[in-house]
Amino acid sequence: MTFHSKLLATTAAAMLAMSGVAFADNHAMTGPNGEALAETQEFTYRVLDEHSSTDPGLVEDVSGSEIVRDLFEGLYNQDKQGNLAPGVAVSHEVSDDGLTYTFTLRDDAKWSNGDTVTAGDFVYAWRRAASPELASPYSWYLGLMSVENIDAVIAGEAEPETLGVTAIDDTTLEVTLSEPLPYFPQMVTHSTTFPVHQPTVEEHGDQWTHPENIVSNGAYVLTEHVPQERSVREKNDMYWDAENTIIETVTALVINDENQALTRFLADELDRTEIPAGQFPRLNEEYPEATVVAPRLCSYYYMFNLREDAPDWLKDDRVRKALSLAVDREIITENVTAGGQIPAYNFTPGATAGFEVPDIEMASMAQQERNARAQELMAEAGYGEDDTLSVEILYNSSDAHRSIAVAISQMWKQTLGVEAELANQEWNTYLEARSNGDFEIARGGWCGDYNEASTFLDLMDSESGYNDSKYVNPQVDQLLAEAKTAEDPTENYMQVEQAIAEDQPIMPIYHYVVNYMMDPALVPSWPLGNVQQNWYSKDLYFVADE
Amino acid sequence: MLAYIVRRLAVAIPTILILVVISFVLMYAAPGGPFNSERPVPPEVMANLEAKYGLDQPMWRQMVTYVWDVVTRFDFGPSFQYTDRTVNDVIAQGFPVTLTYGMWSAVVAMVVGVSLGVAAAVRQNSVLDYMAVGITIGAQALPNFVMAPILVLIFTLWLGWLPGGGWNGGQWEYVIMPVIALSTSYMASIARITRSSMLEVLNSNFIRTARAKGLPMRRVILRHALKPALLPVLSYLGPAMVGMITGSVVVDIIFSTGGIGQFFVNSAFNRDYAVIMGITLLVGVLTISFNLIVDILYAWIDPKIRY
Repeated sequence: MTFHSKLLATTAAAMLAMSGVAFADNHAMTGPNGEALAETQEFTYRVLDEHSSTDPGLVEDVSGSEIVRDLFEGLYNQDKQGNLAPGVAVSHEVSDDGLTYTFTLRDDAKWSNGDTVTAGDFVYAWRRAASPELASPYSWYLGLMSVENIDAVIAGEAEPETLGVTAIDDTTLEVTLSEPLPYFPQMVTHSTTFPVHQPTVEEHGDQWTHPENIVSNGAYVLTEHVPQERSVREKNDMYWDAENTIIETVTALVINDENQALTRFLADELDRTEIPAGQFPRLNEEYPEATVVAPRLCSYYYMFNLREDAPDWLKDDRVRKALSLAVDREIITENVTAGGQIPAYNFTPGATAGFEVPDIEMASMAQQERNARAQELMAEAGYGEDDTLSVEILYNSSDAHRSIAVAISQMWKQTLGVEAELANQEWNTYLEARSNGDFEIARGGWCGDYNEASTFLDLMDSESGYNDSKYVNPQVDQLLAEAKTAEDPTENYMQVEQAIAEDQPIMPIYHYVVNYMMDPALVPSWPLGNVQQNWYSKDLYFVADE
Repeated sequence: MLAYIVRRLAVAIPTILILVVISFVLMYAAPGGPFNSERPVPPEVMANLEAKYGLDQPMWRQMVTYVWDVVTRFDFGPSFQYTDRTVNDVIAQGFPVTLTYGMWSAVVAMVVGVSLGVAAAVRQNSVLDYMAVGITIGAQALPNFVMAPILVLIFTLWLGWLPGGGWNGGQWEYVIMPVIALSTSYMASIARITRSSMLEVLNSNFIRTARAKGLPMRRVILRHALKPALLPVLSYLGPAMVGMITGSVVVDIIFSTGGIGQFFVNSAFNRDYAVIMGITLLVGVLTISFNLIVDILYAWIDPKIRY
């Protein structure tokens, strides 16, 4: 909704209030906390790129998941704070050994064609997501959930029917795990676990997600999709909680260029867009009510290549530590990214549920002390005025990454006399170089798949496919393995973080935040407290102007 | 003439096959693949994906299968990135968008460019001529990635007359800015080519004869001078037309039109092999066709040319 229509809405709201009408169209006139609502409830937002899919089994990107969360509903949702909220499931029970979860489903959940959503729909969806035929790029997520037999099913060694998920009856779903996973219920808020409508999938094949074919069970139905241009979803009257769903229409517009998106936001064509890097301070001053900052479960870091064939200096932990100490994170977050990012001295963001940031020595030092210590370490490692170190920083082509790399190379040069060369590569080439170990220092960014520290720290496991540093520390491996089944893994996570601080296989730089330009009428309902930034259009609404 | 056309078409087929081979080789030489991501998929899943899209086959076989499917079923394969779309879907959706604003751009560029060029040539060294030359140099020098955002600032943010982007099924208000941004530099080139070739023609003997006969200036220009003066414009127009109707990445990205140029660039970044091939072939076929059309038009305009 635009600023202009809000004005009209206010007038209309005032008139309706006088005549004592409580409902406009078919949504409530007041928000969940009794706020007066704007008359037009249409949400239009910008997405950077066309989403990969709206098939829950296949979707792999953020903007696709946002749409899928509106179109489909899984066992659980997240509320404004990121806590579990009932979805198709109303409750669950765990067996004493922690291996069996029994979910009780609501009996009034409907597909958009009127069919009832049953436990069987989940069984079908999970088997499908795991099956080699679908070849979902996200089937590993079910592996992360430790669903029984998942690895064999993905590899094609076992039939999908052997997967540890069973429909006891229409409203009872039983999931068997291969090992206890204390945070398992959090994981069923993820789109890969959402149900799909078997008759529709079987009738239309790959094209079942087209607007004319799709049958979904979420608060919205897909009504229009023009790839690379727009995707429109409208309120689903069959949804069990349609009565409390306020936003009528949600439109995602693909706008590749962030500055164009900003112009269109300012021209009232959009209700939400991302703030281009470095522009936060200016926009915050000019439009304080429309700029929004909230922490996110993502970390920005540099990784060191610890492979056998990498240059020797990389294997010297004094050098890695010195390089890390010499980076003034506050200059980067205040002057380079300048959007309220949080300087990072450890890997897992402090906002992660149940995670306690340990006392990392470096975090409590002043930058001068850090620099002095860094110089000592470099001298110990044998580098000085006569013998300067040259390093190469690899990053994927982007202005924001380049600015950070330039700042860091300057800090290294000034404090340590280290010569850093910058190398940027196009995304796919960069990923290939990183996983092949074809780098010295490379940029990394990681966002949590679920709200628990293991989604970050598992990267440090020597066996992890995402451990591009090839960091090997048996003690870390053991701590992480124990954490999987521990009643309270907090202590393990703190020790792993200390080990990272000691060994510096990676150098954390900052924790991301979200920076939005947002229609001030939408801000009150936006789930800023949900650190995964999982938002559901059904919980959003535009308040009326005061 | 007919024999000539048949001969040209016969040459086109091996040309396109060579295009397929070179594109395939270059595409596979680029590092990474369509299923690369920051979270590398487990080897089993990668194997499933490659099997699903036939990427586990040797390259020559993939190439043969590809050509076979295209020739026998006009099937350009599925998009690897957008799993519920085929390449045919992608082109069917993006190409009409590009074709629409491309054709309008061609019309605008031609009409404005030729008029400006003729006017400047006829009134050589007048204020009008200097203005026309000034405008065309300016328009040629101003890149469209600079002009497009400026247009949006003026017409969307300040004046509020036009939407700042999108396509919306091709309503006129969504088409205007893409057409201005795309046509301006083509228009300038056409104007400059027209002007110089018109000047040359105006100084030739047959025009002097026509004027000596006492024909009115308007008739001399429209009837006698324009046709030969347009020959160089025509040879420029062949590749320019292809450039316009296959779209501009800049226009697609700045105005978020959903046109084919955007798909082309994104498919290259995503290593969406089938979409890259599909659009490359489309551009290839269009280039060959337009060059042929231009050559035929040549013969029609200039009786001296015989095939």
